[in-house]
Amino acid sequence: MSEPRPLGSSALVRLVAGREIATRLRDKNFIISSIVIIVVLIGVMAFQVVVGSGSDESRVGVVGDASELGPAIQAQGEAVGVDVTIVPLEDEAAARQAVDDEDVDGALVGGTGAAPELLVKDRDSTMEAVVNGAVAGVAVAQQLADAGVDLTAVPEVAVSSLESGDDDGERVVVALIGVGVLYGLLILFGQFVAQGVVEEKSSRVVELLLATMRPWQLLAGKILGLGVLGLAQIVVIGVIGVVGALAFDVVDVPGDLISTVVSVVLWFVLGYAFYASVFAVAASLVSRQEDLGTVLTPTTLVLVAGFFVGLQAAGDPDSTLASVTSYVPGLSPLVMPVRQAAGEAAAWEVALAVVLMLVAIALVVRLGGRVYAGALLRTSGKTKLREALRAERA
Amino acid sequence: MLEFDGLYKSYGANRVLDGVGFTVAPGSMFGFCGANGAGKTTTMRIALGLVRADAGEVRWRGAALDAAARRRIGYMPEERGLYPKMRVGEQLTYFARLHGMDGAAAARAAEHWAERLGLGDRRKDAVEKLSLGNQQRVQLAAALVSRPEVLILDEPFSGLDPVGVDSLAEALLEQCRDGVPVVFSSHQLDLVERLCDSVGILARGRMVASGTVEELRRREAGRLLRVVAPEAPQGWAATVPGVRVVSQQAGDTLLELAAGTDDQTVLAAALRTGRVTHFAWREPTLVELFREAVADPAPVPAGEGVAA
Repeated sequence: MSEPRPLGSSALVRLVAGREIATRLRDKNFIISSIVIIVVLIGVMAFQVVVGSGSDESRVGVVGDASELGPAIQAQGEAVGVDVTIVPLEDEAAARQAVDDEDVDGALVGGTGAAPELLVKDRDSTMEAVVNGAVAGVAVAQQLADAGVDLTAVPEVAVSSLESGDDDGERVVVALIGVGVLYGLLILFGQFVAQGVVEEKSSRVVELLLATMRPWQLLAGKILGLGVLGLAQIVVIGVIGVVGALAFDVVDVPGDLISTVVSVVLWFVLGYAFYASVFAVAASLVSRQEDLGTVLTPTTLVLVAGFFVGLQAAGDPDSTLASVTSYVPGLSPLVMPVRQAAGEAAAWEVALAVVLMLVAIALVVRLGGRVYAGALLRTSGKTKLREALRAERA
Repeated sequence: MLEFDGLYKSYGANRVLDGVGFTVAPGSMFGFCGANGAGKTTTMRIALGLVRADAGEVRWRGAALDAAARRRIGYMPEERGLYPKMRVGEQLTYFARLHGMDGAAAARAAEHWAERLGLGDRRKDAVEKLSLGNQQRVQLAAALVSRPEVLILDEPFSGLDPVGVDSLAEALLEQCRDGVPVVFSSHQLDLVERLCDSVGILARGRMVASGTVEELRRREAGRLLRVVAPEAPQGWAATVPGVRVVSQQAGDTLLELAAGTDDQTVLAAALRTGRVTHFAWREPTLVELFREAVADPAPVPAGEGVAA
């Protein structure tokens, strides 16, 4: 047997972190929750593909001359994102038959006449609007032509986007999914940290641990170990998401997708460091798993609030609420990625939010470390924050 | 030498330790007695660095204990603590590594101690699946697995059945023979008396008595004279100067003699009542010493016993 050698802080922290990882990897709940998250993610993408292909196509039957109405209906359809296929039909009877057989989604009878009629099985407002617009357009063009108005003179509107990003909508959706995943993982891993802290307290093993290391080494090892797992999980989710999205052709601009995913992962690191510390410190105040809910609720509420502000920011990224909260430490990891994706946040704004977050993390770790150290050996009942701070000095 | 030197500790206005000090030689066993709340656990926690003393220090081989030296202490806390869902073998390996062993040595030591304490076939079981007695063995193994230079055990015998007590006692004696100083606290005074080379009695944060069991016994205080004189009337001894009657049941009397009182005067007085069938100094048990020491608020310096 070799002589025991002195251990440095990093060796101790590594030992603690290694135990956390090994324990979680053997925990069935952890494995199942990881698989569920990935399955749900793949399911969402598959759903996108199915829904996308389903709503994008529509068959419209046209009775009589479709040379003018056909292209008009297709043009109207394109404007609202529907791929319309025109099916020429013989007469009204054939039209009724086709609608009945669901060979077409709708059939237009007497489209160029005075009383056009749309036959459908179930009412569909999109198709009604498309056909209505086309019929009206053709009719107006016809009347104008009859009146001798030269239609070639109608100017076409040229569109130029003022935004730097070419497709912000898509990036915002990606950021939203990312923030959703980030929110879920922060809650999940925050809980893991909290449960771990209480487990050590309630089983009293903490006294044996503290006989060999300082409280901050135990705290750091626990947070780092679970953090490595959390990071691995969000990276796996990100990679599956990106690969899946590209494979299913859900997104158009891969570069934007990847940069958004990377920013979400980086914000996860900051958010995790912050929330894991807060959760660990809160958990150190109680000695039983049953009491955990009470001390975690305030922090969880902040997380939930951040998540909803993030959702809101997706709709209105330059609103005052979104702008202000994207700097607030604790909220910023859930709001800033959305604003970044929407192209609403300048580089200095992101930098400022990151710096504020880092300052907050430093404060939480410093203050929290003291509370943690003071509260750990009080294994009966609930410890008050102030008592814990005082005990650490004793 | 393991030296506890002048430890003071207060929590607010509550003074828990008031100058606790004692010394344990390598290879000897020190029994730490005292009523609940006397400060035994606090003293041990100070040695492990879990509680900071207001004054005083604990030294090992002449140097105040630091983090590195503490890693060489095997500790069993009063509140037993292990990871309930972790396997026995892995748990022991983990604690060995926390004490500075490398992975391979830690695994070997864990296997060795699990085997030694009869847990060989339970190594792959989670601790929570073990019986309380076996959990206690794992706890002891966790204290011994890193081959500590010093053992500090808080109530190691509590909750053990007689067989468990014997095997734990055997394990501790073996550590002693290897030159490890062992400090343990216990309420089972007969056990302390049987196992320990020296004893310390703590009351209200002070060492009220410490020394070998023999030294404590030889002290005047607590020594009683037992006289059995079947025909003696009630209160026969009360008239003898310098004698206090502790108890009298029929002819069986326990007497406490003031310093300088000649026991032969007592014998003469007893013989005057008739037959005397028994006349002897009774060695106090540790229980009696303990009761007396704890009841007496005045601290007595160590080893001050004077033979009568």
